[in-house]
Amino acid sequence: MPASRPSSDQILHRLSSSEYEIKLKAIREVKNQIIGNRTKKLSYIKLGVVPAVADALAEANADSDNGANLIVQSTAVIGSFACGVDEGVRAVLDAGAFPHLIRLLSVADEKVVDAAARSLRMIYQSKLAPKFEFNKEENMDFLLSLLRSENENLTGLGAGIVIHSCETRDEQNILCHAGSLEKLVGGLDGSMSQRDASLESIATILKNNPGAVSKFVELQNGRALRSVIELTRDRFSRTRLLACLCLICIKNSSSCFLQDIAIKTKLIYILLELLDDSGQVGEEASFAFSSLVAGKEDLQKLAFEANAIDKFYNHLQNPELNSKRLEGIFLALGDLCSKLECCRSRFMSLQVLNLLINALTHDEANVRTAACICLKTVSRSIKNLSAGYFMNERIVIPLVRLLSDLCTSVQVAALGAISNIVVDFTPNKSTIIQCGGIKELVHLTKSMDSSLRLNAVWSLRNMIFLADKMCKEAIFMELTASSVATLICDPEPSVQEQALALVRNFVDGCMDCVEFAFAENGIILDAVGRQLKKSPRIEIIIQGMYAVSNIASGNEFHKEAIMQMIFPQAESGPQSFLSQYLQSNDSRLRTSAAWIIVNLTAPASPGAFGRIAKLRNFGLVAQIKRMASDPCMDVKLRARVALGQIISFGDS
Amino acid sequence: MSLFWIVVRQLAEIEAMAASKKVIPREVWERKLNNVKIRKEDMNKLVMNFLVTEGFVEAAEKFCKESGTEPDIDLATITDRMAVKKAVQSGNVEDAIEKVNDLNPEILDTNPQLFFHLQQQRLIELIRNGKVEEALEFAQEELAPRGEENQSFLEELERTVALLAFEDISNCPVGELLDISQRLKTASEVNAAILTSQSHEKDPKLPSLLKMLIWAQNQLAEKASFPRINDITTAALEDPV
Amino acid sequence: MPVRVVLENTPTPSHVSAVTPRRRSVQSCTLLCAGQAFSGTQNVSSLQKDEAWRVNVRLQGCDLEHGYLCGTMEALNVPMADTPVVTFWEGEIVDARNYTFFTGKWEAAPEDDIRHWTKFTSFSPLLSQVEVDGGKSMDLSNYPYIFMRWKEQYFVNVGTDCGLTIAGFYYVCFSCSDGSISGFYYDPNSSPFQKLELKATNDGRSGFSFSSYELQ
Repeated sequence: MPASRPSSDQILHRLSSSEYEIKLKAIREVKNQIIGNRTKKLSYIKLGVVPAVADALAEANADSDNGANLIVQSTAVIGSFACGVDEGVRAVLDAGAFPHLIRLLSVADEKVVDAAARSLRMIYQSKLAPKFEFNKEENMDFLLSLLRSENENLTGLGAGIVIHSCETRDEQNILCHAGSLEKLVGGLDGSMSQRDASLESIATILKNNPGAVSKFVELQNGRALRSVIELTRDRFSRTRLLACLCLICIKNSSSCFLQDIAIKTKLIYILLELLDDSGQVGEEASFAFSSLVAGKEDLQKLAFEANAIDKFYNHLQNPELNSKRLEGIFLALGDLCSKLECCRSRFMSLQVLNLLINALTHDEANVRTAACICLKTVSRSIKNLSAGYFMNERIVIPLVRLLSDLCTSVQVAALGAISNIVVDFTPNKSTIIQCGGIKELVHLTKSMDSSLRLNAVWSLRNMIFLADKMCKEAIFMELTASSVATLICDPEPSVQEQALALVRNFVDGCMDCVEFAFAENGIILDAVGRQLKKSPRIEIIIQGMYAVSNIASGNEFHKEAIMQMIFPQAESGPQSFLSQYLQSNDSRLRTSAAWIIVNLTAPASPGAFGRIAKLRNFGLVAQIKRMASDPCMDVKLRARVALGQIISFGDS
Repeated sequence: MSLFWIVVRQLAEIEAMAASKKVIPREVWERKLNNVKIRKEDMNKLVMNFLVTEGFVEAAEKFCKESGTEPDIDLATITDRMAVKKAVQSGNVEDAIEKVNDLNPEILDTNPQLFFHLQQQRLIELIRNGKVEEALEFAQEELAPRGEENQSFLEELERTVALLAFEDISNCPVGELLDISQRLKTASEVNAAILTSQSHEKDPKLPSLLKMLIWAQNQLAEKASFPRINDITTAALEDPV
Repeated sequence: MPVRVVLENTPTPSHVSAVTPRRRSVQSCTLLCAGQAFSGTQNVSSLQKDEAWRVNVRLQGCDLEHGYLCGTMEALNVPMADTPVVTFWEGEIVDARNYTFFTGKWEAAPEDDIRHWTKFTSFSPLLSQVEVDGGKSMDLSNYPYIFMRWKEQYFVNVGTDCGLTIAGFYYVCFSCSDGSISGFYYDPNSSPFQKLELKATNDGRSGFSFSSYELQ
């Protein structure tokens, strides 16, 4: 038979025929045309076939054999329209088929019930399906009756509803309290599709919900948990993956669960093995792996011992990897290298870096982001940074290009990587300067998006760490003193902190560098002073205090400028911030304050005597004396050095 | 860092331990084999698993009666599955597709690769029957859109359409698509998908057990010399050479 | 927003410590922070000749939590070398938490350890306890000296054929009050007790200056 193009007159006509045989044949024809065939589905939807089939469904009588036949066939058609095509789901819902399908769940004919449950499950696989309201009592009764059913298609539907509609913690708790976990656990012994549906819905209820997790692990004296663990050895790869995802939800909710090293190791091995699956399971396995090892040093160590990096590397060598896989693998490698040096060394020695560099220019934004995130964690290694592995054109050129990516998440991730790789402990940073990096970074410090501003300032701050004067000048010229002052007073506290750390690094190094703080009539110094007087955040103040301390280690003029900042009016006035921070509860802040005193009283500088007199007048010398027995050793030792310098001018 | 003071000692000592292989004589090996007890019921289950998975309904029924081994799947479903398999094997692909859809409409909707292979088989059958025009239209209407969805489908489609370019199909470089083995391949793919949808393993256990036997023998052969089974059909122990 | 990785948590050594119970790590000292520089000499006297190299050290990372620090060491006027030789080293901080006074590797037996540690005068109050258990029961968190081992990992600017060896390691004692460092190089195949003496430098400033970076 030739492939017949659907023609409106014919098929719509026949679908609405009053003759049973013609109608049934038409419905079957549509069914066999559309199953598996996306294009056919779309063209039939356009023709208006969905409402016609929905009408046939609504009119048929489930009690007669003919009616049941019509229902089974038209339900299959509706389910297929809803499978994998959003337009289909929309058409099915618009045609009003949904309530009919629900109604058919309670008829006597099992074939009809199966068909309706199957179709509804298809619909619930789409985001467009109507949200199921768990907080209505009658809804929960209905759902529990589904989950309680002997019929596997009905329990599958129940699980599908949970997976589709349970999103908030409240909804998880409602389901939990209503006893749905107990019901779902029953499905763990069922057929493959039942097991999978149960596992996925259990994971949905447990995700980020420690209360639900505690309840689950104690269910049936831990038998439920053991069943899930058992299913990690199932013969079907999808089941193994879902069982792993369940266990990961449990593991991630609290460190007290699944501490057994055997289970942790097992999870790692299973997920690594699942990577070999050529389909969706293999794709999802690397994302699951990521969430398993993220932030957990012990699991990263186990994964390292399981040769995880080699395994991911082997997969990356396949040139036909799709973008989802690439993204997943780079994210997994990123998490794997986030804490342990041994992982980063392995990464470097396998030269995964070459493959990562290719991914930096991938068409998909998600892949570019993942590659940048991976580069960021791999470059957390001081050993590798110091060896100069990252500061070369092959990496820096594409990274700098990503700074003007159209996708913000790519830009942020690229900045994250750059902020690390610029810490290469060399003074000139010529590679990144020649690639136009400064211009891009400075541009992003003016972005409307605060995470871009933060990361751009952070990158510049790290870039001028131990940089020479030429490099600092190049950045300062582009950035300008007034912009630095603006960043110090940015609305976002984290940006303020990085901006003050930037100033601190600018004025470190050779004596000339102190002058940066005095450009444009000291606009930067003023901004630093303002933050020190008003900011409530310790982290911000510490950076500002070290900026001040570094300036105070300069020449006579610099030291006097700092005195001016600390004591603005000659004699009276409110208590100075320095005096306040010398008494801070935070020892790091006291330390920084003590260093300022040490630098202001350095005996080699001619004005030291005068400054000591002033410090004494304001009661700061007395404060320093008390600090000579500070409980914090760092503070105590600095105070003693300052005291020694003060005494050398004669104690009075 | 430091200057060398003492010449570095010679540490390299090559381990030349020519590990000689252990030899296991036949009597010892046979004694060991005899000590391994395998339950008759397990063997029967293995046979039954093979029969139902491969779809030998009558043999399975007989075996069930004779040995009392219950099949782990409803024998009625085997008949449906075999009907599908047979339809593909005899070239009635459209019929097979309808039967699969009656069995469970989800199978082809959620298994694009299988669906494509069935459609490809339909195309092959059209070409085999010399229905060139129809084949072209079918390829364009039904298969080309699948190729747009998936690169590897497109390549397979191109290979299949290449059949049309040759007058003498027996000399065509992609002629193997017309072989009966292509039908069998497609049929076994459908068979496996139906089995999976019924939560049954798609492959019988017996062949993988035999593969494991060969693998284990190879592993052992690296360390020891022992009487091994080389011909699986006779399972005769052969002394090492 | 990026997750902040505070420097203290950044470079984690790949080993997992066997020292129990968990004690406090040594207190932080501003002079022992990434970016700080030190300079001085390494005495390489042998029986035949008396000589010393000029040495510059720059700290690049410090993670007290894990007892880890690292940096570079530059040796000037090295005989036979045309350029200064720079190496990258990683250090273990003796904190009775991650590491004890007993090295347990690098060809250093407890007797070698004691022989070297006792050369630091600041070590003498600790000796009796260290002889018992390597010091694993001590609280060193408030001690004004920090003991370390520095192990060079690779040559930064020259090849391994530069005529120098980095097979050994340094026993190091750091003074928290003025940032001075003394150390002894240990390598059974090199001349014994080569002494390292370093002082904190300040780039010609009148005071102390501190820069910082933070990895993400």
